[in-house]
Amino acid sequence: MGLISNRSIFSAFFSFPPLIYQLAFFVFPLFFLLVLSFWSVKFYRVQPDFTFSNWLYIFEKGYFWKSYGWTFSLAAMTSIIASVIAFPASYYISFKLSENIKRIVLLSLIVPFFTSYLVRIYSWQVFLNDNGIINAALDYIGVGAVAMINTKLGSVIGYLTLSLPLVILLQVFSLSNIDRNLVEAAHNLKCSPLKTIFLVVIPAARVGLVLAALFCFILSFGDFVSPIYLGGATTQTLSILIIDLSKAGQQWPRAAVVAITMIVTLLATTFLALRFAYKGKS
Amino acid sequence: MNNDKKTKSTIMKSRRDFIKAASAASGIAALGGVAPMLMSKKANAAPREMTLLAWYGHGEKDIVEAFEQANNCKVKAKYYTGGDNMLALIAQSPPGTYDVVLSDAEYVLQLKEAGFVEKLNPSDYPFDDYWPEFQRFGGHWSGKELYSVALRFGFLGVSYNSENISEKEAMSYSLLWDEKLKGRVGHFDWHLPNLGCMSMYMGNPNPYDINQKKFEALTSKTMEIRSQVNGFYDYGGTFSSLKNGQIQAMCGIGDWITGVLQKDGSPVRTVIPEEGGLQWTESLCIGKNAKNHDLARKFIQYMSSPEGQVRSANMAAYPAAIVNKKAWELLAKVTPEEAKRQRMELGKDNVISDIRNGRVKYRTLPVQQSLETWNDFWLEYKNS
Amino acid sequence: MNARLNNSLLCLYLLIILGFIFSPIIASFIFSFNADRFPSLPLGEFSVKWYEAVNEDADVWAGFYRTLTVGVSVAMVSTFLGFCAAYTDYRYSFTGKSVYLALALLPPTVPLIIMGLAMLFFLSRVDLSGGTHSVIISHVVMCTPFAMALIRLRLSQMDPDLESAAWNLGASQWGAMRFVIFPFCLPAIVSSLLITMAVSFDEFAVAWFVSGLNETLPVRILSFLQGQVSPRINAIGSVVFMLSMMLVIAANIILMRNSSKKTTEE
Repeated sequence: MGLISNRSIFSAFFSFPPLIYQLAFFVFPLFFLLVLSFWSVKFYRVQPDFTFSNWLYIFEKGYFWKSYGWTFSLAAMTSIIASVIAFPASYYISFKLSENIKRIVLLSLIVPFFTSYLVRIYSWQVFLNDNGIINAALDYIGVGAVAMINTKLGSVIGYLTLSLPLVILLQVFSLSNIDRNLVEAAHNLKCSPLKTIFLVVIPAARVGLVLAALFCFILSFGDFVSPIYLGGATTQTLSILIIDLSKAGQQWPRAAVVAITMIVTLLATTFLALRFAYKGKS
Repeated sequence: MNNDKKTKSTIMKSRRDFIKAASAASGIAALGGVAPMLMSKKANAAPREMTLLAWYGHGEKDIVEAFEQANNCKVKAKYYTGGDNMLALIAQSPPGTYDVVLSDAEYVLQLKEAGFVEKLNPSDYPFDDYWPEFQRFGGHWSGKELYSVALRFGFLGVSYNSENISEKEAMSYSLLWDEKLKGRVGHFDWHLPNLGCMSMYMGNPNPYDINQKKFEALTSKTMEIRSQVNGFYDYGGTFSSLKNGQIQAMCGIGDWITGVLQKDGSPVRTVIPEEGGLQWTESLCIGKNAKNHDLARKFIQYMSSPEGQVRSANMAAYPAAIVNKKAWELLAKVTPEEAKRQRMELGKDNVISDIRNGRVKYRTLPVQQSLETWNDFWLEYKNS
Repeated sequence: MNARLNNSLLCLYLLIILGFIFSPIIASFIFSFNADRFPSLPLGEFSVKWYEAVNEDADVWAGFYRTLTVGVSVAMVSTFLGFCAAYTDYRYSFTGKSVYLALALLPPTVPLIIMGLAMLFFLSRVDLSGGTHSVIISHVVMCTPFAMALIRLRLSQMDPDLESAAWNLGASQWGAMRFVIFPFCLPAIVSSLLITMAVSFDEFAVAWFVSGLNETLPVRILSFLQGQVSPRINAIGSVVFMLSMMLVIAANIILMRNSSKKTTEE
């Protein structure tokens, strides 16, 4: 008897703290956000209520759907661009580099995560300005100025700054797990390198590649720094809308509606991506 | 028994305190050796902390340092962008969080009605030295009750890059529709000054007091320049995009931004166009249940005195005209060139005469629509 | 020959990608020594005045101490929780385990701005907002999954019979935990401490919402960006970069040394 109870104390000691903590400070706040979306605002204070008016208000606004469309398509575009740009690099890192160099490259890909994202975006402004570094370089080689800051391109560059290192890391991770014999076999069957990549490597690494793209999507979908500081007036994304709604006139319940719509979108995207990733696997 | 109960109730005074204590304890436990060091450092220093909610710059060293030294206190500032943002920040923090609130004059009434500010004693402040326009400033008084003390003001019009745009062009808001400025028009991200200027352009004598039809005309006219706009900026963004030429023209801002850039040598200017300009006014209030009521009062006294006023006129973040006539005399001695640049010279054509001859209108809250309606339109405009 | 050309092209490509990733970091470092207030080309004079300005700024120091307090606390708490979750996943199977794991791993998929909104609203309802503790509470939620992933990875390298062998030798569960599992996980625990601290060190979105008047350093950077645009941003960024780098490299050395030890043992 004593033994059993000691055992359950032991397992409870390890199992419960994370469960309780995440329930209290992760699930509960998000649930509250859902509740909040049915509350109302009077005199700049939110108060308990049960009204659908916030949902109706947001969903009736043409600009909400427009912003939704932009946010979604920019994030989707970024995750495709990031995956495509990253792949040759990841391929090179996983198949061609020696272990030591590989380790150094991977370490240097981790580094950006621990530098201030804000500072990096601020720094991009200097590159992308009309009189910035890139345009100065273009001018030097005789190409006219290109508008980059305050354009959608600016936002995408910001998103890539945030997510490209992660995408490469995840891709390398999945490529490194591919059975080398498979690649060898393809070579022996006189498969061209490009054909090998498309017919053997990519299918074998599908799960990791999809996960990498998914993470890129999640990061870009929710980021507000890039669209504000690099996208200018061209990309009013949902996260900027959340800031505007909560900052102006204390419209928290409406901000909550936008937030929940975003979470649902992310959950659905994640679900579909995972289904696609694991299709035909068990 | 009774005693026992009492102990229990003090220990578990409230669940909230308990949670607070627990989380604090975990933090301290985690910190281990470092925590006591940091804590004791805090305890020894002991100057009181006065909290200030304001536009950027009002809590910076150049303004508050002398006050801090004289009163052995530290001014801890939280900055906002726009009155709606200010109201939101007050509403979401517990009463008593902010000792002093610097508000745009038109929001004082809202502050009072929401119960966010304390009543003030008029005899505490040097109204006799003020320009008459600012002694009984609209919305600051309700009958004989005073809620706010005017601090400084400035004008809003068209700001432009004088290298590429002539003063003549800038003398009308129609400049913003000019084809050559496509992608070169910027907005300070706040509906009130922007829509106010547009309303002046539409010829409304009282730019904020317009009926629904006029308001609709205003919004559709404003929508026309959306494709010209390249960004919606906060204070920092406005500043750097005017500086680096990303923005060539803007309405609804004024010398409070371009003045700083001019000092820095940039070809950026502000004019009050033919259609007229707006006046912004900033005022100081004491937050409801302020923890340092006495310090808050002293701070407002200091800021309305000639010394505080002169500091305010020369504020590093953004200069502005001041409301104390006696302070104008001091300003003429301390920084005559700034007095001249900002047209605050007694006995000459100055900013007060601009107010008197009707070239500028007060920025106020919308009269016939709710603030929310204007705000909503701004959101829609931004997201178009 | 063709393959070699391909390889050098790929190598060049990788360098360009790394260049893209690192150019903002390097530029910020360079501009932190530039005397001009607004960063533009050509560079102005060399100057350390922004570092001096940062050094003299009491708010920056207050923010720094606060960030440090938060970082250390978050590292300890989230590593503990992460260890618990990882061990639970490793040792036990039970109904609803996938829900348990989802709870433990999902937080990073929620956009920071939404976390911030939800946390501020929730914490202000239970009167826990506006302080350093609010930032700690929120960061632990976000950091625990990282700690769990790192430690779980380490546990999966452990011989599953090791723990039961210890039990058979008469060790209690607590004993096995203390003398077998914990020492084995130690390198992962240390690197989790460092990594969670580094994550907390740079987080600004949630901290911006919940910290109220008690701004942390990254929130301070955000206010610099919104208010007085100043190269102090670059100076702070460079210092924080150095600090975080030291943490990351330390974590890596610990992990690497251990994994090389493991391979030599094999």
